Amino acid sequence: MFATDDTIVALATPSGRGALGIVRISGPRSQDIVRVIAPARRPLEPRRATLTRLRAHESAGGAVDRVIATYFQAPHSYTGEDVVELCAHGSPVVLRTIVHAAVDAGARLARPGEFTLRAFLAGRIDLVQAEAVRDLIAAATPLQARVAFDQLEGTLTRRIAELDAVLFDLIARLEASLDFPDEGYHFIDVGETRRRIGDVVNGLDVLLADAGRGRLIREGATVVLAGRPNVGKSSLFNALAGTDRAIVTSVPGTTRDLITEPIDIHGIAVTLVDTAGARRAHDVVEREGVARGEQARGVADLIVVVVDLSEPLTEDDRRLLDDTSGRPRLIVANKCDLAPVVALDDAMTVSAATGEGLQALRCAMSRELSGGEPTQESPALTNLRHITLLEEARQSLQGAVNALRASEVPEEFLLTDLHAARTRFDEVVGARSSDDVLAHIFEKFCIGK
Amino acid sequence: MHFEVIVIGAGHAGVEAAYAASRMGCRVGLCSLSRATVAHMPCNPAVGGTAKGHLVREIDALGGLMGLAIDATGIQFKLLNRSRGPAVWSPRAQADKREYGRWVAAALEREANITWVPGRAGRLLTSAGRIAGLAMEDGDAHTATAIVVTTGTFLNGLIHIGPEQRPAGRHGEPPSRELAESIRSFGFEMGRLKTGTPPRLDRNSIDFARGVACGDFVKEDGDAVPAPFSYATTRLLRNRVSCWLLHTNDRVRDLVRGAIHQSPLFNGQIQGIGPRYCPSLEDKIMRFPDRERHQIYLEPEGIDVNEIYVNGFSMSLPREVQESLVHALPGLEDARMVRPGYAVEYDFVQSTELSSTLESHRVRGLFFAGQINGTSGYEEAAAQGIVAGINAGRLVRREPAFVLRRDEAYIGVLVDDLVTRGCLEPYRMFTSRAEHRLLLRIDNADLRLTPYGRELGLIGDDRWERFSARRDRFDRNVARLRRTHVRAGSGSRAAAEVLRQPGVRLCDLVDRGEVPLDIASDCRELDLASVETAIKYEGYLKQEASRVARASRQERKRIPAGFPFARVPGLSREAIQRLSQVRPETLGQASRIPGMTPAAVAVLGAFLGRLPADAPAEGAM
Repeated sequence: MFATDDTIVALATPSGRGALGIVRISGPRSQDIVRVIAPARRPLEPRRATLTRLRAHESAGGAVDRVIATYFQAPHSYTGEDVVELCAHGSPVVLRTIVHAAVDAGARLARPGEFTLRAFLAGRIDLVQAEAVRDLIAAATPLQARVAFDQLEGTLTRRIAELDAVLFDLIARLEASLDFPDEGYHFIDVGETRRRIGDVVNGLDVLLADAGRGRLIREGATVVLAGRPNVGKSSLFNALAGTDRAIVTSVPGTTRDLITEPIDIHGIAVTLVDTAGARRAHDVVEREGVARGEQARGVADLIVVVVDLSEPLTEDDRRLLDDTSGRPRLIVANKCDLAPVVALDDAMTVSAATGEGLQALRCAMSRELSGGEPTQESPALTNLRHITLLEEARQSLQGAVNALRASEVPEEFLLTDLHAARTRFDEVVGARSSDDVLAHIFEKFCIGK
Repeated sequence: MHFEVIVIGAGHAGVEAAYAASRMGCRVGLCSLSRATVAHMPCNPAVGGTAKGHLVREIDALGGLMGLAIDATGIQFKLLNRSRGPAVWSPRAQADKREYGRWVAAALEREANITWVPGRAGRLLTSAGRIAGLAMEDGDAHTATAIVVTTGTFLNGLIHIGPEQRPAGRHGEPPSRELAESIRSFGFEMGRLKTGTPPRLDRNSIDFARGVACGDFVKEDGDAVPAPFSYATTRLLRNRVSCWLLHTNDRVRDLVRGAIHQSPLFNGQIQGIGPRYCPSLEDKIMRFPDRERHQIYLEPEGIDVNEIYVNGFSMSLPREVQESLVHALPGLEDARMVRPGYAVEYDFVQSTELSSTLESHRVRGLFFAGQINGTSGYEEAAAQGIVAGINAGRLVRREPAFVLRRDEAYIGVLVDDLVTRGCLEPYRMFTSRAEHRLLLRIDNADLRLTPYGRELGLIGDDRWERFSARRDRFDRNVARLRRTHVRAGSGSRAAAEVLRQPGVRLCDLVDRGEVPLDIASDCRELDLASVETAIKYEGYLKQEASRVARASRQERKRIPAGFPFARVPGLSREAIQRLSQVRPETLGQASRIPGMTPAAVAVLGAFLGRLPADAPAEGAM
């Protein structure tokens, strides 16, 4: 059962890169939430597009993007509720950050079809229009409803189902020990309980660690080339992109605006961004270019800091290296075909001119982005909703682990945490009732007198 | 004659229904074949057990009979799960089955409002969709405003002993056919279930001492200090008998396998569905071939009763096979079988036909309670009996329904499960069915329910005073534990905090004189348990309470009677059909109907929100 009176958020445009992307927030708290993530001087006026700056959590790099916010006042909206639509640039990274920020501010991630469901409930659309709703309702079980998603999400349901099975059997055994104390069975002991909860937690950890990579593959990543002027960023950009997209000259500060190009790095859809050289700008245009470069670095999944191997490091180089030290980055020493002047321990040497070292750079980018060696196995967890559910499940299980560690907590108390975790799994693999627990017990054990 | 409430059947459901309605001031007719079988125990001579013990405590807290009856006539008492947490402690007692029935019959005799109506109930009389009265099979007729049907396994009962079949409600008693026909004529959805009972042995033919000496039997005794079922019991209870544990062996296994084709359960003679948690011996052997041996308990059926109940040995094999099986058990080589075990098939009314008051959807004033609703167990029957009796009384007095919620009582869980899910097999209560079981403990059943009992008119002045004193003590003691500081290491800490440490017990703190609590001498264990649990597990209990609160808006959202589910756009035909059949009273109930999807519930919820606000029917009354 899901609520119809809370505030939900989701990406309204197809995931992936596009010129624009829309995040939609619907429900009574829509305005409050937007006030938190995009503080505007005045409250949003209904049906009026307002340019505003979105602010994500500091940990996500502060300011994200300038967006157009449009407020639709209930009941004059798609869902019939208060709706705010945020139209941002179509980078998956930016859009994901916005959704995250809305969740942090109190929205709930919408389930598939939920906006349409609300529209339907509010009488805004009829059933024929609401095909998503109809499918949702027609599905007899949550599992069935998920079949379609499974095709996209591959092995997720299976992998969660495996963890769920371990947890379910553990719950059934603990329940059996409570309900059937004098059947002559020893259903489970504390050590085994602890070990099994640990197994599930570990399994979740693996899935969640995978989560970043999964999302990456689904939504792609942004890689920003940064460096002081004339270190060869644009040459590197062209070399990696395999095009002459960026103008390359020997004049420092040739690149003024952001230039992007989609490229494929070991299966990851990367938006490669070339930026203006980082230095004290000489004119208004360049100043704006440098500012955009900084902003791009703020939302990058990976920053490639380019230095010139043939010249001594400058103050601009050092400042950039300092600024990016806490971020995921690669340091690339370009122009290795020339006589080297500097030696940087943690830098990879490449030559955009000859192509030397580019293959190694691609591998390094892939490794940095996916947090591991390139692999063929498709990661399971790509959906933010699922990640949230699994994180909650993990939290409940950790509660159980802590309780077990602290003392001999009676089973029925321990079980409240385990049930809470399984309720989260339920949302992914389909609900099971207390009848199912009992059925499992009766199947496994000869109970009764 | 004219009655306000007629109760058909005087088993565990019937007696509670009649007693409750009578205490509420209704003129009650109690229709039964014989006074000798009032509150009869046709199967195991015991009351309570996990979750069932909770039900008995709750029946007692509301002002019912069962707890008092078993305290008065129990002959061995145990608190199950004592080594586990307080939410799953559960009392169980062996009963002197003859004394138990006599005690209950006497309690009913004392009720001036109850009139015995001996004989066989025949036809339910109705007028304009409401109950009007009852026609007996012998031709007499009585008028009534409400009827509670508690006929157990009597509707078209059919007993099987091997190939031998005979119509019977219980051993030696004829079944109810005309009543079954009458009920069926209203169009109730009915089904067929099966249950069974083991053979009984002659106590004098068993040498228990030798069985123990030879290592065949393990003697099982009650608790050193028996805990009573009833909050009103103040006298010390006494264990008067032992039970004996033994195990089946390879010979038993081989005999069952050899005779399996003669078992009505396995040769297709029985169609009814039996309970999985109470498997017959045939089931145990055939379905769990890996289990080397199965537990059997020998239980005396009373002090002056010669019969020994062979718990765990229920079967429907032919008499002579049963005899050889008994003799195959270690230590029972010379035992004499007094009567064989049997399986009984019977009709039941699908419980989705009922509302949460146990009144039927189809006929106003007609209530069903007990095994006829698909449950098994005396305790489940009694719990439904008191609910039906109370609500029959409320109906007569035109007072609003009395419904306990799932977070208030196991009784609430039981009724809610029945009316939303129906029964596919005999329903037995388990603690795992109660999602809020941390809140539903035996130590607080009175705190949860006795105020309701009082309001309903089931709790007399003496009992109420005693309860009020106990509740005051509880509040005072909890406050005192928070206030009082005790020595801990080098400093001092609130006693409540110390109590939350693992391994610290309240009784130790009290015995050492560290916290002066107000404990009644005749209520010591209960007083300590309530306070200790409330403090020690406060975090968990608060969490559980907030879970209840979070769900309550959805859970308690009322669905008005006669709500036109078919007119809710977007519900599938199956969902509409299920909803119209079950007629859920709240959105919470709707969500528990098998097959209802979260989306369908959301759709329903949204449409309910658009109806004008209805009665503030929160809470139980």
